[in-house]
Amino acid sequence: MKTLLSAVLILTFVIGTYADDKYEKAVKKNLDKMDTCKTAADYISIANAFERIALAESNKWLPFYYTSLNLVLASYIDSSNTQKDMYLDKAIEFIHTADSLEPNNSEIYTIKGMISQSRMQVDPMSRWQKYGADATMNFNKAVEIDSLNPRPEYLIGIGVYYTPKQFGGGPEKAKPILEKSLYKYEQFVPANDLMPIWGKETVERLLKQINEGK
Amino acid sequence: MKSIFTALFLFTFVTAVMSQTKLSGKITDKEKQPLPGANIYLKDTYDGISSESDGSFSFTTDEEGEGILVVSFVGYKTHSQNVKLDGKSKFIEIVLEEESTELGTVVISAGSFEASDENKAVILRPLDILTTGADADIYSTLETLPGTQQIGETEGLFVRGGSASEAKTIIDEMVVQNPFYSSVPDIPARGRFSPMLFKGTVFSTGGYSAQYGQALSSILVLKSQDLAPRTQTSINLMALGFGGSHVQRWENSSLAFEGGYYNLGPYFQIQKQRTDWEQAPIGIEGSASYRQKVAENGMFKVFSSYSFGDLSLRMQNLDNAAQKDFFAQKSNNFFINTNYRDIIFGDGTFFAGYSFSVDKVKNDINKDRVKRDDIFQTGKITITKNLFANSFITLGGEIQNLNAKTGFNDLEGKLNETYSAGYLEADVFFTNDFAARIGLRAEHSKSIDRINVAPRISLAYRLGIYDQLNFAYGEFYQTPGQDYLLISKEFNYEKATHYILNYQYIGDSRTFRIEAYYKDYDKLAKGTVYTYPYFNLPQVSFSNNGNGYAKGIDVFWRDRETIDLTEYWISYSYLDTKRDFRNYPVLAAPTFSTPHTFSVVAKHWVQEITTYFGLTYSFATGRPYFNPNNPEFLGDRAKSFYNLSLNASILTNVFGNFAVIFCSIDNILGVNNIYGYNYSSDGKVREAIVSPALRSAFIGMFISLGETNPY
Repeated sequence: MKTLLSAVLILTFVIGTYADDKYEKAVKKNLDKMDTCKTAADYISIANAFERIALAESNKWLPFYYTSLNLVLASYIDSSNTQKDMYLDKAIEFIHTADSLEPNNSEIYTIKGMISQSRMQVDPMSRWQKYGADATMNFNKAVEIDSLNPRPEYLIGIGVYYTPKQFGGGPEKAKPILEKSLYKYEQFVPANDLMPIWGKETVERLLKQINEGK
Repeated sequence: MKSIFTALFLFTFVTAVMSQTKLSGKITDKEKQPLPGANIYLKDTYDGISSESDGSFSFTTDEEGEGILVVSFVGYKTHSQNVKLDGKSKFIEIVLEEESTELGTVVISAGSFEASDENKAVILRPLDILTTGADADIYSTLETLPGTQQIGETEGLFVRGGSASEAKTIIDEMVVQNPFYSSVPDIPARGRFSPMLFKGTVFSTGGYSAQYGQALSSILVLKSQDLAPRTQTSINLMALGFGGSHVQRWENSSLAFEGGYYNLGPYFQIQKQRTDWEQAPIGIEGSASYRQKVAENGMFKVFSSYSFGDLSLRMQNLDNAAQKDFFAQKSNNFFINTNYRDIIFGDGTFFAGYSFSVDKVKNDINKDRVKRDDIFQTGKITITKNLFANSFITLGGEIQNLNAKTGFNDLEGKLNETYSAGYLEADVFFTNDFAARIGLRAEHSKSIDRINVAPRISLAYRLGIYDQLNFAYGEFYQTPGQDYLLISKEFNYEKATHYILNYQYIGDSRTFRIEAYYKDYDKLAKGTVYTYPYFNLPQVSFSNNGNGYAKGIDVFWRDRETIDLTEYWISYSYLDTKRDFRNYPVLAAPTFSTPHTFSVVAKHWVQEITTYFGLTYSFATGRPYFNPNNPEFLGDRAKSFYNLSLNASILTNVFGNFAVIFCSIDNILGVNNIYGYNYSSDGKVREAIVSPALRSAFIGMFISLGETNPY
C-alpha cells in the first residue's frame, strides 16, 4: 500500500512538472516564433497559439498578455481599418482578463496603453484627443508600478517620434525619452525567461536613425 | 518496489500505445469564402492550429475520447462541436456565422445622417463640423448635406420644403427652446452651442424615431461629450473677441468653465458692412459643465450657459426715402440641461433628464417696444431593455412646459402650454440582414386640449457587407406656433406623413446614398396674423384647413480615398413642394424652397505645414419671393445663389503651447446673392435682401496652454 502511494505521489510530481514543462515549452516556442513574424497573418497565428494556451490554462495571466500583444502587433500591420479595430477589440478583452488575474502589473498597463495608441493611429484626426490621453495615462501608471520597466518609455518615445514637430513632437524631442528607455533596457533583468523582454532592437534602431539625422 | 516499477512501466506502455487523431478541414463563411487566420483547437488543450489562407487546417492530437472542437475568429461567432478522438482521421468543414456586432449587422438609418466616433456606419465625423463652411457653426455644416435648403437671410434648418419651425434641435434627448441667438431682421443668427461640446450628431431629414416629436420635418439630435479627456486650459483670440476655458479632470469626473466676450465693432471697421450698424453686436457668454462617472457604467451630466447680447441698426424705410427705421435688440438667455444615464438589468439602459431655459428679448423698432419672454422646462425618462439577440424595446415619456409672454408696447399676450408625450418602440433584428424599428407616440397639448397617436416604422435590409436598402413611414404632429395659440385655442395639430426610401453604400472610405421621399402635409394652420409685409393680400380666417406636399430626391457621395490626403463630399437635392398655409391665398411653392440645391465640400491635409485646407461651394436655384405687383402669388423667383468659401486650420505651436489658427473667407468670388426683396406699402419701391457684407472673413487662434503636444 505504502509503495503504491509513493508511486502515485512520484507520478503526480512527474506529471505536474511535465505539465509545467509543457506550458513553458509552448510559451517559449511561440515567443521564439514572434521574432520571425512579418505579416499580420503571422502575428495572428501566434496570437491564436497563445489564445489556446491561455484558455487551456485559464488562470495564468502571461498567455493572455501575449495573445493581446500579438493582436496589437497585427493591428499595426493590417491595412484595413475595420480589421485593425476588430483585432484591438479582441486585444482589449484579453488584456482585461490578464488584468483580473494579475492586477497592478506594469507590463499589462503597458499593453493597455499600446492598445489605445494603436486605436489612435487608425484615425488620428478624430481619435487623438480621447485615445492619446488614455495611452499616456496607462503608460504613466505602468512606470509608476515598476519604474524599471523600459517598455512604457519606448512606446511614449516612439509616439513622440512620429508626432509632427508643430505639435511638439519629432526626432529631437523623442531622443531623450528613447535614451532613457534604452538605459532601462540595459539594466532590465526579467523575473524568468518567459517574461516580456521585447522592444530593445527597435529602440536601438530608432536612436541610430535619430543620430544619423533622420 | 516491484509494484512501483510495474506501475511506471504500465504507465509508459499505455502512453506509448495512445493513438493520435488527425483533424483537418476547412473554415468558410456563409458565402463559402475561406477564412484564414481562424483559431481551431480542442477545448482545454493546447492542441490546435490557425487556418491557412485558403481556410484549410490540419493538426494531430494525442487526446482521446470525446473532445470539443472550437473555432474562433475575430468578427464571427465562436463555433464548437463534439468530435470523437478515436485515432481515425477526420475531415470537418465548418461554416462560421457572423457576429451580431455593429460591424456585422444592418443599421436602421432611413432619413438620417450621423456624425460620431461610435457607430461604424456613420457618414460624418465630429471633426467635419469644425472644418466645414466659414464659421464652425453646426447649422452651416448641415446646409451642405442633402435635404437642407440654402436660406441666407434667416437662421434655422429648412428641410425638404419645411419651414424652420418644423425642425427642432435636441440636446441630450431634450428639446432646446432657443437653439439660435435672437433673431434680427434679414440677418441669420448663429447657433448658440459650439460644435466642440458634442461627441455625436444625428441629423434626421425625416422618418425619425417615436422618441421625438413636435417637428413636422426634421430633428437634429446632439449628444454632449462625456468626461473631458484631460485637464486643460485654453484661450481663444479672434478678430471679433476673445475667450478662455479651463477643464479640470479628476479620475471619474470633470469640470469645465468657459467664457467669451465679443464685439464686432472693430471688425466692422475693417470689413465694410452693407448693413447700417448703429451698435455693432456685442455679447458676453459663459458656460459650465460637470460630468461625473457613477459606479461602473453611469454618467451624470450638468451643462449650463448664459449669454447676453446687444445690437442696433438702421434700416431703410421703403415708404419714405428720407427715413431710416431704427432697430435695437437686447437679449438674455440662460440654459441648463442635466441628465443621468446608466445601464440597468445588465442589458438595458436608463435615462432621465431635465432642462430649463429662460430667454428674454427686447426689440425696439423706432418708438415701439416688442418684448418676448420664454420660460421653458422639460423632463424626460427613457428606458430600454434587451429582448433577444440584438433586439430591444424602448419605453419613455416626456413633459414640456412653456410659459411665454409677449408684449407690444402696453399690450401683453400670455401663453402657458403644457405638452406631454409617451412613446413605445421596438427595434427588432429578424436576421443579421433585416431589421425593423416600430414605434408609437402619443401626445397631448394642454392649449388645444387634444391627443394624437402617431405610428412610426423604419425598415432596413442589408444587401451586402456595405450596402443597405432602407424604408421609413411615419406620422408627425406639431402644435401650431405661439403666434397662433395666442389668438385661439381651437386649433388642431398640424400633421405631416412621411414616406422615405433610400439605398446606401457605406464602405471603408466611400459612401453613397440616394433617397426619395414624399411628405404629405395636412391640417396646417391658416390665418393672417401679421399684415406686414403682405399688405394687399386678402385676410385669411383661422382654421386648420391648410395642406401641402413635398417630394424629391437627395443624393450624397463621399470619398476619402481616391485623392491622397484629401476627402470630399458632394450633395444634391431635388425638391418639388407646394403648400397652402398661414396667410397664403392659394397653394404655392413656399419662399423657403427651391428645386435644385448642390454643395461640394473638400478638405486637404498638407503635412509639411500641418494645415487642413477646406473648400465649400454651394449652388441653389433662386427661391420664390413675394412681389405685391405680381397677381400670381409668390410667382417671382430670385436669381440663383452661388457661394464659394475657403478655410484653413493650421495646427501649430505658440510659445511651446499647442495651438490651432483658424481662418476663413466666405463668398470669395464676391457674388452678390439676393435672397428676396422687401417692398414698400404701395409696391413701387423695393430693396434687395442681401447678406450683411459681400465677403466676410474670420480669423481666430485657439491655444491649449501647457500642452506641448496633443499626446
